[in-house]
Amino acid sequence: MPEVHDRPLGVIVCAADPAALDRLVPPGHGARVLRVAPDEVLAVVAPDFADDVRRELADRVAALDHDALVLDVSDGWAAIALVGDDAERALSYLSALEAPAADGFAQGDVARIAAKILREPDGLLLLVPAYGRDHVRTRAIEDAGAVEARA
Amino acid sequence: MSMLVTCPTCGRRPFTEFSFGGELRDVVSPDTASDFERVYLHDNAAGPQRERWFHLLGCRRWVTLTRDTGTNRVEA
Amino acid sequence: MPWLRLDGRRVEIHDGDTVAAAAFRAGVRTFTRSLKAHRRRGLYCGTGDCANCLVTVDGLPGERACVTPARDGMQVERETGWPSAERDALAINDRLHRFMPVGFYYKVFARPRWLWPVAERVIRRATGTGTLPPDAPTRRTPTRFVRVRTLVIGGGVAGLAAAATAAGEGSVVLADEAAPGARATDPAARDAIARLTAEARAAGAEILEQHAAIGIYEGPAAALLGPDELVEVEAEHVIVATGALEAHGVFPGNDLPGVWLGRGAARMTAIHGVTIGERVVVVANTEEGAHLSEALRATGATVTLVTGRVLEARGTRQVSSVTVLTPEGRRAFACDALVLSLGWAPRDTLLRMTAEPEVVGAGDVVRPGSTLAEAEASGRAAARGQADQPTEATSWPIAEHDGYVCVCEDVSMHDLERAWDEGWTSSEILKRYTTATMGPCQGALCSRHLAEHARAKGAAPAARGRTTARPPVRAPRLGDLIGGVHEQVERRTALHDRHVAAGARMDHSGVWLRPGTYGDVGEEIRVVRERVSVMDVSTLGKFLVAGVDARTLLDQVFPLDVGAIAPGRARYLLALDEAGYVMDDGLLAALGDGSYFLTSTSGGADRMEAWLRNWIDRLDLHVHLVNQTAQLGAINVAGPNARDLLATLTDDDLSRAAIPYPGHADIVVAGVPCRAIAVGFVGELSYELHHPRGRSEGLWDVLLAAGEPWDIRPHGLDALDVLRLEKGHVYLAQDTMPDDHPAKLGLRWAVASQKETFVGKRALERMDALPLERRLVGLRFDGAPQRGHPLAVDGAIVGRITSCAVSEAAGGPVGLGWVRAVDGAFPDQLTAGAVTATVSPTPFYDPEGMRLRA
Repeated sequence: MPEVHDRPLGVIVCAADPAALDRLVPPGHGARVLRVAPDEVLAVVAPDFADDVRRELADRVAALDHDALVLDVSDGWAAIALVGDDAERALSYLSALEAPAADGFAQGDVARIAAKILREPDGLLLLVPAYGRDHVRTRAIEDAGAVEARA
Repeated sequence: MSMLVTCPTCGRRPFTEFSFGGELRDVVSPDTASDFERVYLHDNAAGPQRERWFHLLGCRRWVTLTRDTGTNRVEA
Repeated sequence: MPWLRLDGRRVEIHDGDTVAAAAFRAGVRTFTRSLKAHRRRGLYCGTGDCANCLVTVDGLPGERACVTPARDGMQVERETGWPSAERDALAINDRLHRFMPVGFYYKVFARPRWLWPVAERVIRRATGTGTLPPDAPTRRTPTRFVRVRTLVIGGGVAGLAAAATAAGEGSVVLADEAAPGARATDPAARDAIARLTAEARAAGAEILEQHAAIGIYEGPAAALLGPDELVEVEAEHVIVATGALEAHGVFPGNDLPGVWLGRGAARMTAIHGVTIGERVVVVANTEEGAHLSEALRATGATVTLVTGRVLEARGTRQVSSVTVLTPEGRRAFACDALVLSLGWAPRDTLLRMTAEPEVVGAGDVVRPGSTLAEAEASGRAAARGQADQPTEATSWPIAEHDGYVCVCEDVSMHDLERAWDEGWTSSEILKRYTTATMGPCQGALCSRHLAEHARAKGAAPAARGRTTARPPVRAPRLGDLIGGVHEQVERRTALHDRHVAAGARMDHSGVWLRPGTYGDVGEEIRVVRERVSVMDVSTLGKFLVAGVDARTLLDQVFPLDVGAIAPGRARYLLALDEAGYVMDDGLLAALGDGSYFLTSTSGGADRMEAWLRNWIDRLDLHVHLVNQTAQLGAINVAGPNARDLLATLTDDDLSRAAIPYPGHADIVVAGVPCRAIAVGFVGELSYELHHPRGRSEGLWDVLLAAGEPWDIRPHGLDALDVLRLEKGHVYLAQDTMPDDHPAKLGLRWAVASQKETFVGKRALERMDALPLERRLVGLRFDGAPQRGHPLAVDGAIVGRITSCAVSEAAGGPVGLGWVRAVDGAFPDQLTAGAVTATVSPTPFYDPEGMRLRA
């Protein structure tokens, strides 16, 4: 049975022309870049580096699209980690989506909430709108057999 | 259960991830008289139909596609 | 030796027994009483296809005894017949059947009208199978999702061969309904299954035992019901290998206990070692039937094998003789068991449910009567994309003049003839009128007979087909169906725990959980009107609209004059659809750098985002839209002392000069950066503080603490409802209908008609040229009104109350409602029951709006 953990994360949105985003050099600090739409990128990173990543993104994209918008939207997202070997099986109780490849992501319906799924070394990460955190946690525990992380 | 809709960003997904935007129609009418037709009178074809779908639970973008209303198959 | 209890009596269980095998061995012959006539019914199909053996197992009704493995300590009860299945008082129905022809209940009890509800209750009591215990545990079956290249339904030879072959092409899941070990009745079949199972597993196929496919849907997709789970499968290919059962024989006496279908008899004999009778007659028109006799002889019974047509079976509690028209003429035989192998009925319900080309059949279901080798070849061919097409058996027991066609629902040939004569002349209509095929077996036995009957009567081609196949194929429990469905998403604000700790009654408001009240609605209203209060409005839709075309987008889409909103100002925003109807409302604030902040109703946020993105796309505009609904919390500080309270927490200028009405400013409250928006929904001085969601709890706590000098308390939705009503503000979907354009709601002022273009403009022009037929109006009552109550003029209903409340601030009961014009004029006095309603201008409270502009 996988464990459910809250993973505080920094999330930066970068909205710009698709052509600009195609050429955008990803920021550092271990940020994962998710191309969630042709005109939108989400950068996901450890909270301590959110500000650095925001600045890096803003500088880089401004050169490619002067009208681009870069915003720290960390408050808008909750990241729930399913930790354990059976994380994928647990996901199958919450979603028809398949877990993504190692460095990719999937986005779609998880427990009827719009979510992104990322693969982590220790399991899977579900990135959901902040208001959906409790809902997804409850579904993971009640339906997917996950357990609360031991403190 | 699953009529599958193709989203260019996210792939083929169950229709339950989308909200349906109806038949594709013109954005504007030249005058008041033709506006009634544009808004209310739909072709409602039995067969391939151009439609708008919004990927509500995915990328949250619109897609225009062709669906055969008889077979419910969406063109790839 | 393990045992179970059947109606209280101990019954021994042998190794591998089903409930039916154990019971039969112990002498039980009557398993159920039929639905209407309460006739004795015994084991018939033995393969889980018919409904003759439904029993209650451990409190749960509707279990098929012939496929339920018996377990030590099981409590089994027969669920039909009163006081017992053996001695049923209602067996008299069978004698009275002449007075109860098909559909009699529609005619006999139709008049007098009052009799029908009484009669219906009695009829319901007398029929039905099983009782649900009132304390049945609530069970929600886990649901999981599987995506696979090939789904095979059926674990016989054809299915296993298909799985083994398909596994070479990609992932395979095979769903096998049968309990382990329950399948093969002869050694050759057992060997084939063992060999193919090993091959399939070795090739990587996943076999789900005891999982029944209950439906095939678009996709193709299928639902598999297992003992502890429901599996929703998305597959690229589906191979249905569900096999066939013997054709149901229709003749007088065909439903007597002791009449068996061949494979059921074979199972009982070969797998469970049960002797089904001493003198057995086997009527076999199939090859397989001939082999049955051998297996039966091995039990020591005297077996007579004949071919031909069964004319009649006789007996009282069970069969005692049968008459067969053989090639040599009529022959009568005494017997205590009659085994029928008259032809094949493929289990093709799943196949008939879908026209998707990716769903194909293999084995008996498309080629009934296949040998083992033929079935295996058929399975492999299907996996290679060369599936056999369905063929029906050539010999079919044409329905006789009498006998039970639909055994589940007690519909005889006689009933079908009578119904046809009454004018129900198509298979679909016959089904609905007689209820044939509508019982627990869902036409597994009789759907072909029904279609055949229509054909024989000369029905037109469109009226004589098999009735439409629909899911579910097996009866799932309610708990199986609700397991994975969570349409009720529960969105929570960051202040959820605070509300709960404060004793709030949390309500489902659309997809959100919101506090209805903290305990005293009246006090909550008063504190807003007289002092200061806070409300969690984090659920509001919030959007940042930026980019070079931001203003163009908003101007094209919304009916307000966007250019007239100076930085630092805000405007009430109406969202109209292309028909000119009000879709949503909110606020639009100009941020000063060319970007805008837009709020919508809580329930309308997703639709607003979709709406805006649609126009960005269709108008090809460069706009960056960020949905900030989740990211920002919002707390409304409202009341005459709102400014005083906030002044203790901020050095920023809170005066009207700095924050105009309607307008906004960025301020810092107790260290939390906020966008303070001056709003007027509740009609008091208000600051709606939009802030980072992560700071919500801290901000809430600080506001409540700083508000103590004014005896602050928070207010919830119940109070909000009254407060906004006192100002005459509409609640969308409560006070409005989907076809309300602004004029109907008195919101014409929010439309800048002089604008050249906006969504819905042409529609509004068209509707403005027509007289207004319906309006939303304010109402004052002389008594306590009821929400939803019709409004009448001279006894004729001309409207309805949509919102109402007894209001201190408004000086009495007030409300909103819609009224229709009568003879071109809108009435101003109406009645709502005993109460008089007078049309009244709104707002009811502070009509000049002095309080909120303070």
